[in-house]
Amino acid sequence: MNRRDFLRDLAVGGAVLNWAPRALAGQAAAPSKGPDLAAVEGESPYLITKEAVAALGGMKRFVGKGDRIIIKPNIGWDRTPEMAACTNPDVVKALVELAHEAGAKKVTVIDNTTNQAKRCYVRSGILDAAKAAGADMPYVDETRVKKTALKGEWLKEWDILIDVLEADKIINVPIAKHHSLCRLTMGMKNWLGALGGARNQLHQNLDRAMVDLAAFFKPSLTVLDAYRILVRNGPQGGRVSDTKLVKTVVAGTDPVAVDAMGATFFDIRPQELLYLKLAQERGLGTYELEKLRIEKRKI
Amino acid sequence: MKREKSRKYRVLQVLRAGSQAAFFGLFLYLFIGAHYTGQDYISSTVQRFFHFDPLLALVTLVSARLVYALFVYALITVVATLVLGRVFCGWVCPLGAVHQFSSFAFKKTKFLRPPREEKASLAWKYYILIIVLAGAVIGLDLAGYLDPFSFLTRSFAVSIFPGLAYALSGLKAGFYAVGLISAGRSISQLLENWTLNETFIQGFAVGFFFLGAVALNAWKERFWCRYLCPTGAFLGLLSRWNVLKLRIDDEKCIKCGLCTQHCETQANPYPNEKWRSGECIYCETCAAICPTAAIGFPLSGAPEKLTNVSDVNLSRRKVLLTTFLGLAAVPFFRLTPSEKRATLKLIRPPGALPEPKFLAKCVKCGQCMRACPTNGLQPALTEAGPEGIWTPMLVPKIGYCEYYCSLCTQVCPTGAIQKQTIEEKNKLKIGSAWVNKSRCIPYVLGKPCIVCEEHCPVSPKAIKLVEVETQLPDGKVVVQKAPVIDLELCTGCGICENKCPVVDDPAVYVTSVGETRSEKNRLLLQVIGEAGQPGK
Repeated sequence: MNRRDFLRDLAVGGAVLNWAPRALAGQAAAPSKGPDLAAVEGESPYLITKEAVAALGGMKRFVGKGDRIIIKPNIGWDRTPEMAACTNPDVVKALVELAHEAGAKKVTVIDNTTNQAKRCYVRSGILDAAKAAGADMPYVDETRVKKTALKGEWLKEWDILIDVLEADKIINVPIAKHHSLCRLTMGMKNWLGALGGARNQLHQNLDRAMVDLAAFFKPSLTVLDAYRILVRNGPQGGRVSDTKLVKTVVAGTDPVAVDAMGATFFDIRPQELLYLKLAQERGLGTYELEKLRIEKRKI
Repeated sequence: MKREKSRKYRVLQVLRAGSQAAFFGLFLYLFIGAHYTGQDYISSTVQRFFHFDPLLALVTLVSARLVYALFVYALITVVATLVLGRVFCGWVCPLGAVHQFSSFAFKKTKFLRPPREEKASLAWKYYILIIVLAGAVIGLDLAGYLDPFSFLTRSFAVSIFPGLAYALSGLKAGFYAVGLISAGRSISQLLENWTLNETFIQGFAVGFFFLGAVALNAWKERFWCRYLCPTGAFLGLLSRWNVLKLRIDDEKCIKCGLCTQHCETQANPYPNEKWRSGECIYCETCAAICPTAAIGFPLSGAPEKLTNVSDVNLSRRKVLLTTFLGLAAVPFFRLTPSEKRATLKLIRPPGALPEPKFLAKCVKCGQCMRACPTNGLQPALTEAGPEGIWTPMLVPKIGYCEYYCSLCTQVCPTGAIQKQTIEEKNKLKIGSAWVNKSRCIPYVLGKPCIVCEEHCPVSPKAIKLVEVETQLPDGKVVVQKAPVIDLELCTGCGICENKCPVVDDPAVYVTSVGETRSEKNRLLLQVIGEAGQPGK
């Protein structure tokens, strides 16, 4: 890709994202074959991920031939999988494979980490898993972010990962964790990892920041890893006793609904989470699970 | 008479250059290897070069009164020098290679024109050696400042590689500007993959000394090796009995003086009886340059006359005086208040020995600063007193101590930082965190933050959140979650200070008090718990 192409793509991508933010989400949600949410329980994180995507109608529903796909796990911390601080590597691996099978041209796994990037990538197990499945997994630095208009209610502009801006489709793959400010960090909070800049300032109005970000990033698919969730000392834990096995993966096209379902694993009612309420008010999705078609499977 | 240069010594000269290049390459390879490669423990011993250094071995042994087993390798160097002379300086030393190459470059560019005969005194390095050794007797470790391995590693860790990383960043920006995105991105990935730290408080000063040492080669060939290097001086003293003695074939010699003019270390090959075995590093230049192949190094069992070792008149008076200077210097290094009372910001790496032992063992090589994945380990300037200049300290504002990392403890060549497994390291406190309530966002602004709590790596967290009331300027009272520190749990890693959104003077910060290694710099005493059991 030469610079001219790059800038053109960036401008077009930016224009789509800026001026027609609903377009992407509409596209993804339109062919509503299959259920709204799929929750699959089982022993293997890899298999339940594949099953959850299948239950939604298969990856072809979300990934087109020749698409450049971004898979955005939570790789924020220098923690191994049994600490449940980062997305389970097998969940990521399954999604990379599915994206390739659906015809994706390029799959990139990326996160702007909190601890040293290399340590997070390696020790989370995600680097090996993603590479084995044929994904690219670059480290983030200042050249990979671009100041972008978010047009949010609180966040007007912020540094966004260029890889995410350039992607044809985004798959959000958070892990469900305790967080002492927004109570739970799942899909909507995961977008902080797609940002550059002084992210720690966002905590001063975190719920609103999360809603603005969720309104900006329009994932085609959200896959919540709740195989092992972090129930205390979040968002990084540090002991296996801080975690709880739920052995479930929740997949869906409605990012608010996925997070709402995630909240139930912590015995928290979705309406207790401010950001879910704000997101529903903004029309980003619904947390009212009783109104949704949820396909539950056990394998 | 037939004039022909010696083919044998020309080959040897090339071999010597090859050997220098190979050892310099090995040094670089090991140096770059001292980072997080994806394994928790570094498999190759990146600090092995240091263990072959007899001066560091001796000074560390004497000053710290501790035997460090890995220094047995230094005996190899000692024996090699006794048998073969200073081949170590000429064929192995990577700093010697730097000086050799730069001298060569200065000669080729005519910056350096060696005189027919060099008269400058070679004595300085011996005086430096004597001062270093005398200081060591009283526990002062000065070897690291001028020892070639320490000097080179420190210069590379703290200035040359950071400079290189900075240049690469510039190159990266250049690639982006002209549209070579993938080339720019390769550089980004390399910088992260090799963890090339870019930020050093003393980077300029250390780099200045290094470039200065290199620049001196434009004045005198291998200036450092001739006049400054205490390790070279030490090896010179050992090379009196070596079996390779320079001999000039009088029948072939045409007395052109090229050998003496181009001798790298002022060892004075001609006239033969003035050759200084203690200065000769067996670079083979004289034998290779000789137009009539008159010079050779035949085996000879006869010891050199002591005066010929380096032709330095180290009279008893001079030796005594410099020894006295070395001894007399010690008290001046010890007048600092850090001897009496712990220094606020002197946060030593985990596993560092108690301060006096640490100072006696640390050779200021900066290897730990190279290995630190967050760039947090920095060379001290005034924090540890004069003998602690360039010793490592954690500066949390720049980088924090990564919880699952013990690399700095693995790469220390002298054991000043004792090797720790990650489990062991996580039991050590290197300091304690404090909240500055007059700057902390929830306390002052009444706004939510919790960034420090979120980043605290210990479980249960050492930073707890409590609800505090803040009266805002308009008189309104708000309740907000605000951090308090549980000092029993805090390890002093400093990630809270590093990530605090109050960037200029963080509202949560770490000081050295409570560090495990110190009995004086204590905070929490073991007390009898409420249930009558000894407390934690």
